[in-house]
Amino acid sequence: MTLSRRLVVGAASVVAFLILWQFVGQREIVRSDLISYPTEVLGTFIHLTATGELGSNAAVTLQEFVEGFVPSIVFGIIFGVVLALVKPLRELLDPLLTAIYTAPTIAFIPIFVVWFGVGTFSKVVIVFISAIFPIMINTRVGVSEIAEPWLRAVRSFGAGQLQVVTKAILPGSMPAIMAGIRLGLGRAIVGLIAAEMYVSITGIGRMIQVYSSAARASEIIVLVVVIAVFGYVCVALLRSVENRMGTWRSDLE
Amino acid sequence: MAHLEIDHVSLAYPNAREKTSFLALDAIDLGVERGEFVTIVGPSGCGKSSLLMLIAALQQPTGGSVRLNGKPVAKPGPDRALVFQDFALLPWRTVLQNVELGLELRHMAPDERRAIARKYIAMVGLRDFERHFPHQLSGGMRQRVGIARALSVGPEVLLMDEPFGALDAQIRQVMAVELLKIWERDRKTIVFITHDIDEAVFLADRVIVMSASPGRVLEIIPVDLPRPRPLTLRNHPGFVAYRERIWNLLEDEVRSSLNWQASDDAAPMVPAL
Amino acid sequence: MAVGSGVAQLQPVALPKFRSSSEATMLGILGIVLFLGLWEVAAQVGWLNPVILSSPSRIAVAFIGQWQSGQFIGDLGVSVAELVIGFALSAVIGVAVGIAMGLNRITEYALDPFVWFLYSTPLVALYPLIVVWLGFGFATVIAITFMLTVIPIAVNTFSGVKSVDPSLICAVRVFGGSNTDVILKAVLPASLPLVLAGFRIGLSRALIGVVLGEMFSSNAGLGFRMTVYAAHLKTADVFVPLVTFVIIGIITTQLAIMLEGRLQSWKT
Repeated sequence: MTLSRRLVVGAASVVAFLILWQFVGQREIVRSDLISYPTEVLGTFIHLTATGELGSNAAVTLQEFVEGFVPSIVFGIIFGVVLALVKPLRELLDPLLTAIYTAPTIAFIPIFVVWFGVGTFSKVVIVFISAIFPIMINTRVGVSEIAEPWLRAVRSFGAGQLQVVTKAILPGSMPAIMAGIRLGLGRAIVGLIAAEMYVSITGIGRMIQVYSSAARASEIIVLVVVIAVFGYVCVALLRSVENRMGTWRSDLE
Repeated sequence: MAHLEIDHVSLAYPNAREKTSFLALDAIDLGVERGEFVTIVGPSGCGKSSLLMLIAALQQPTGGSVRLNGKPVAKPGPDRALVFQDFALLPWRTVLQNVELGLELRHMAPDERRAIARKYIAMVGLRDFERHFPHQLSGGMRQRVGIARALSVGPEVLLMDEPFGALDAQIRQVMAVELLKIWERDRKTIVFITHDIDEAVFLADRVIVMSASPGRVLEIIPVDLPRPRPLTLRNHPGFVAYRERIWNLLEDEVRSSLNWQASDDAAPMVPAL
Repeated sequence: MAVGSGVAQLQPVALPKFRSSSEATMLGILGIVLFLGLWEVAAQVGWLNPVILSSPSRIAVAFIGQWQSGQFIGDLGVSVAELVIGFALSAVIGVAVGIAMGLNRITEYALDPFVWFLYSTPLVALYPLIVVWLGFGFATVIAITFMLTVIPIAVNTFSGVKSVDPSLICAVRVFGGSNTDVILKAVLPASLPLVLAGFRIGLSRALIGVVLGEMFSSNAGLGFRMTVYAAHLKTADVFVPLVTFVIIGIITTQLAIMLEGRLQSWKT
């Protein structure tokens, strides 16, 4: 059956890779401080957790992430809806917003650090800016696309009806909004890690920078996996939220 | 020796999990003469399309052999051209470029193949649409492009896999008449698959009636009606007799292929006439 | 996340499209002009501190200075070169991998876990490993750019190949096409829309790669220059490379969208 064949080949491939990696690293066929090997990585992970270094830095990073990401979702959705419903505003701001959207957000890190200092705030701003644009733009597109017939109704009823419409329009444009949030998530993580690497005072990004200069491959790999797992967990959470929303939508219909 | 020989051909698909195999075609024997128009009719899933795939050599039979002019068919080639139910036109190519495809794959020079392609586009009545794209054409027009493409490679046998299946019932009838007109010009050997009994009788010199899965030849019926055949032929008593005969053969096969399980209510749904 | 569904389940990410008419463009330009105008006024009047927040006029002055010293052109050249080389490399390899995975089930299943991992992981985290391996400089930036760009291209190409109508492949085979014919005449043209979408996403990722690489592991290019000016708190000068990056981002996105439109003109 196809599903198990896919699993078998995929798993075999990963296992083969791990074995090869272990062999090449442990036997120093390639210098182990360049690539490390699975068992060493595991040992390093345990060590970093035991000393609390991993935990304390991760906590800082997580805090910065949440402080930036949550507001970006809230404001991103609000602005997105406003842009969708107020045509002249949209046309005025679209090119400007597209410009910033297509720009590499991490390029803003140096200037933000100059403005906001080396503390937590500049990183929170980076997370916020990185995430808000995809969320805002995807929300706007999602709302305009499903709301065309409804928008006519809104305009004929006046602003008082807005709340009702927003409660109905928002669930309907959920898929687009969720896509925007997923995009924003990826960008936010990239921005945050890069910012922490740049400032290099606290956080996972700092750890990466430190171990990078010290050429400690095994620590870096541990951090890579930690970030990957974090990203994966966030996406899984989003997926389950999306599924929960799905049941709302069918009630609405 | 027949032009196309299907000699005791079987096709089985192995099911690795259950260690059994699914028999699609069971010992099909069939000879098609040069210039003959043969239709194959049977319930869905009886392997008609698979048989066509075997003739086109897109698949190999598990038993028996398919021979053209006495030689077994090993791989696909321009001597057996296929017309598809879903037209299979390349959407990014114009009508002209689509018809040229077969000749292009044979590495024919551009000028030569363009001339040939245009001839066949004119033959199917689409001369003014050479530069159009498939999405700009109706279903019937697209299939005519498919037919032109198949004819342009000068095949010995034309294989048609429910070519009018995607078209509406009225267009189908007109297309059938037009197809016969095109066929009359150089009398190619045609193997035509359909599940429409009327269409099968209308077009054919002989109708091959197949059973439900595993596909077997139930009967081969020569159609002794004069050519050229007008649309009104469908009401002709001789035609009606053929239709009834084939339907009698097929009705049980169709029902069995439906897997319609008896309900608890014992009363029959339709009173017998 | 369904087990074993891997890359095949990933939806290619699409850029929302904007309808533009000349009226909308005018309003848009007005928007940018208004923004710049407000900023300049705010700086002149003292609502914000121009030393820290800078202003369009100061940025313009800084730009002229960088231009005249030749530094700007030099930096721009380095960054563009890295972008082009990194992207070209990713395009070639990404498309090849995508086709291989799309046409061959075993390849798909074997590479799937790795591609999925690289697709979902914020690759910025892998960058330090590259620095460890390759040190500082031009090659490292290209490597980072490659790493970030090749994955979306491969994933989108793979999706494109998988979505090809099988009867088109059948048609090419029936008329005597070899495997090369099938790829060149059916698979590639049919998967073009998604491949181009992959290019568009890859291009913006490539730019991020260049910025990232230059900021952290290079001593040339616009990104590097930004960090230098930032370290000296020369705000106006920092904006010059920054705005340049934004403009490069806009130009490349527009080019990619135009290319997508042009190559699919037959659809209209």
